[in-house]
Amino acid sequence: MTTDELQQLLAQQPIAVLHRLARGRVHRHFRAGKRRLIELLLQHSSQNLAGLESDLQALIGERQAQPQSTPAPARQTAPRHPAPPPNRRPHRTHEPESTEPSVSLAAWLEGLGVPSPQPFVPDPWQVEALAGLAETDVVVSVPTGSGKTYVAVEAARRAMDENRTVIYTSPLKALSNTKFTEFSKIFGSDRVGILTGDRQDNSQAPILIMTTEILRNLLYDAAGGEIDVRLDTLGLVILDESQYLADPERGVVWEETIIFCPSQAKLLLLSASIGNPQDIADWLTSIRPSPCRLVRHSKRTVPLRAGYLHPNGKLTPLFRTAGIPYGHPGQLHPEAKRLFLEYEEDTLPSGRPRR
Amino acid sequence: MPPSIHPVDLIAALREKSLTPAIVFLTSRRACDEAMEAFDHARTVLPPERQEAIATALERVIAQYPSIAEHPLIPTVQRIGVAAHHAGHLPSWKIAIEELMRQGCLDAVFATTTLAAGVDFPARTVVITQSSIRKARDFMDLTIGEVQQIAGRAGRRGKDYVGFAVVTPSPYIDLHVLTKGFTGNPEAIDSQFTISYPMVLNLLKAHPHEQIQAILAKSFAQFQLNQRANVLEGKLDVLHTQMEPFGPRVCTDWITQWHTFDQARRQKPHRHQTARHESPEVTARFHFMTPGRVVGLNKGRGIVLRQYRSKGQKSPMVTVLRAGGAITESPAGTVTDVFDRLFECAEQQGYPWCTSESFDELLYQLTELPTRLPLLPILVSKESDLIPDAIVQSLGDFPCPSCSSRPACQKDYLVASRLRQEQQRHIKSIQALRTSLWHRFQERIDVLQKFGYLSPASHLTDDGEWARLIRIDHSLLITELIRAEAFAGADPAVLTGVMASIAHDDDRPGAFPRVSTGLSSLLGQVRKLAESLSPYEDPPLLRADIAAVAERWVSDPGLTWIGLCRSTTMAEGDIYRLLARTLEFLSQLHTLRATHPGLADSASRAIDLIRRGVLEELP
Ligand SMILES: Nc1ncnc2c1ncn2[C@@H]1O[C@H](COP(=O)(O)OP(=O)(O)OP(=O)(O)O)[C@@H](O)[C@H]1O
Ligand SMILES: [Mg+2]
Repeated sequence: MTTDELQQLLAQQPIAVLHRLARGRVHRHFRAGKRRLIELLLQHSSQNLAGLESDLQALIGERQAQPQSTPAPARQTAPRHPAPPPNRRPHRTHEPESTEPSVSLAAWLEGLGVPSPQPFVPDPWQVEALAGLAETDVVVSVPTGSGKTYVAVEAARRAMDENRTVIYTSPLKALSNTKFTEFSKIFGSDRVGILTGDRQDNSQAPILIMTTEILRNLLYDAAGGEIDVRLDTLGLVILDESQYLADPERGVVWEETIIFCPSQAKLLLLSASIGNPQDIADWLTSIRPSPCRLVRHSKRTVPLRAGYLHPNGKLTPLFRTAGIPYGHPGQLHPEAKRLFLEYEEDTLPSGRPRR
Repeated sequence: MPPSIHPVDLIAALREKSLTPAIVFLTSRRACDEAMEAFDHARTVLPPERQEAIATALERVIAQYPSIAEHPLIPTVQRIGVAAHHAGHLPSWKIAIEELMRQGCLDAVFATTTLAAGVDFPARTVVITQSSIRKARDFMDLTIGEVQQIAGRAGRRGKDYVGFAVVTPSPYIDLHVLTKGFTGNPEAIDSQFTISYPMVLNLLKAHPHEQIQAILAKSFAQFQLNQRANVLEGKLDVLHTQMEPFGPRVCTDWITQWHTFDQARRQKPHRHQTARHESPEVTARFHFMTPGRVVGLNKGRGIVLRQYRSKGQKSPMVTVLRAGGAITESPAGTVTDVFDRLFECAEQQGYPWCTSESFDELLYQLTELPTRLPLLPILVSKESDLIPDAIVQSLGDFPCPSCSSRPACQKDYLVASRLRQEQQRHIKSIQALRTSLWHRFQERIDVLQKFGYLSPASHLTDDGEWARLIRIDHSLLITELIRAEAFAGADPAVLTGVMASIAHDDDRPGAFPRVSTGLSSLLGQVRKLAESLSPYEDPPLLRADIAAVAERWVSDPGLTWIGLCRSTTMAEGDIYRLLARTLEFLSQLHTLRATHPGLADSASRAIDLIRRGVLEELP
């Protein structure tokens, strides 16, 4: 294959393939647009075009072998057809799901609107988390926006009813401030205090809000012999956004806090969905006085739909189904697929349509 | 066709389909600000009653945070019902926008992906325009967790039946990253445990040295290391069974016996020098240069693909995967660093020594490595495990030639020795996994002893007693500065300047006010000390221009916030964060009032001077 032919073949690939090819070849390849990326790839491999070519062929082969995970398959041979209308069955044998008609835009938009006000009923997982806390530590891992704050508030209320103090930590000062306002409204401002790096407001209140670093420091001071009555009566420690455990710089602070958390206090870890919540729970079980309860689910309370908006203003569903096809990233809506391919082609600054 | 949709058209399209309110995630603050500017000439304006609703809502926030009363964006926000929200803004402005959003006054907000988790900021729709974000000065693909965190803001409980995540392309987008993000399971959390100097001091303050290992064992880091060790132990069990047929024969350790005999027999004429010149360090480190290990070489870093001994000299060699995909053979002695980072590597006989999947993965990992990696602590044992000369020389004394088990040994040797090598490798890895945290702790102890914060018996010295209260980044530099009395006589403004330059870790360039001569000469001293400490602690950026911004705020109490903002190109939100972080550093100095009253007093005066105007608004 000549350099020109190789360049052509590269230009026909979706950008994802080029990025995979660029891994280890082109530094900071994600900054490059498609054309620049091709230039850089050719430049880098000028001594070893054959190597580049064989890698490329391998990638193409791989993507053809698993069309499921292919948002935009290579199409050096396939001529471009307009997508079949959603209600006709397309003749693609390698995509088993394509026997189902794709959702229409109207159906995708259906149901949009504002529900009528409902009385507040706690979700089963919220009840479960609170019940668990009555006995032991609890790790909650649920999607963003599910209602973790309710669990924190109720748990705090119950701890205070038993004359125990509560510490609530968040990773960010801004979040602490919001929670301070929110908790003050719920419990009354005399019962809520906040500690930041340089200021203490109402620092003997039964509910204290602080960043996780501040709590870690309190725990170190107490371990070092300083007397802190607040820790003696401590009944509950809430670590919000505890997926920060994975933060490269600050994650260690969550570990320190959990290791040194007084054993008479219950721990409540609130986290967005993570991949291994069971590991976290098992870890807590292994170091805390009683076995940790894990409350997890990954279903969003408000269902999500994904769409694709073309720069010309045309909107289409992103997937064949109205909802998210969990586990099947390749089930793109034919219209979205077609528009995106067109986009990739058009954003090549050289601009020559290749058909 | 334009590379991405025009912001005005985007909002129009969303409004038309009733997909507002929406959060539009853009790649940079600049992009957010430019999107706002794009509305300067837009004709669509909000109906008067909605404009009024915004004005009323804003008034309530302004009553609490007067600093935003004159915010230049207020008229635009009111006129078009669209706002921007990013780290360049003051926290009070961000709170105002969040409040407007909660009350449903806005149709859209342009934000960067730094829009923090947990901030109650939901919308009907999120618009995603990118598939990678800037992290640690480089662009990285969004993780599945990040895509879901972004998408998680779509659909407000109680206000929407459904939420929408709309992808609109820009030239850098990789659709696959997003579709994978929508449909996949979030990544597992990996421990990021590190052992810092203050951690060591505080642990040793509260617990005797011999209890520390048990405390470290409680970390999630050790929990995960144990998980890995357990997997290896499982493999070890399997190997154990596989080794059964190769148990003791005429000699108990026939494998070594045969190995020695075989080697001696083959190489008798030219008496081989089994790595006789190898230093104990090389020998010790060679054990850790196993496939998947990240190592440093004279030029750049690489990942070990295999280790072997060279044919002639039997010197220890490694095959290393280098950036760009090159595979090089290097003597183990030329490896400058052995890092505490081991990747999965599916080994394979013959070039390129691992499966092609593994190769791709490793190559990718290599490009994604952070610039700084912890070194693997390796204990160098003095005794060498070389074949003693005596054995080689006394070939004549080998029983093998006439042994009854000779044919069996000869036949089984290759398989048996490979199994045993594997066994030994696993045993070493398991040991490393079980003890690495402890080794790292020991390393920190060594440094703290060297500097005199710990006694030889690992008790806190007088200096250690106060130094443990400094629990921030660059703690060693700060405590060493205090011991060198660098701050003696420094006024609050100069102290603030130095602390700001230590606290600030962003290298975004800009134009800044001039720094005073006093501060400038002190910074020179700090820089020198930081450099001398660099083997033990990464030096901070120590930007004089940043120091000058903080210094000015403290040295001139008449300076208004607007005046300060005008003196630099730094964004308002960045100045705020700089001063807030400097406050935190100063309050750590303030905790030293028992031992360093002068310094603590200066810090406390600096804190009072910093806290005014905008800095006073939030707790
Ligand atoms: N059981 C419930 N029924 C109806 N609405 C609820 C319920 N629980 C919580 N909510 C509402 O859901 C919204 C989101 O709640 P919350 O902020 O606690 O989520 P979160 O899980 O903390 O999200 P994040 O990951 O962003 O921190 C709030 O408006 C809250 O009032
Ligand atoms: Mg929350």
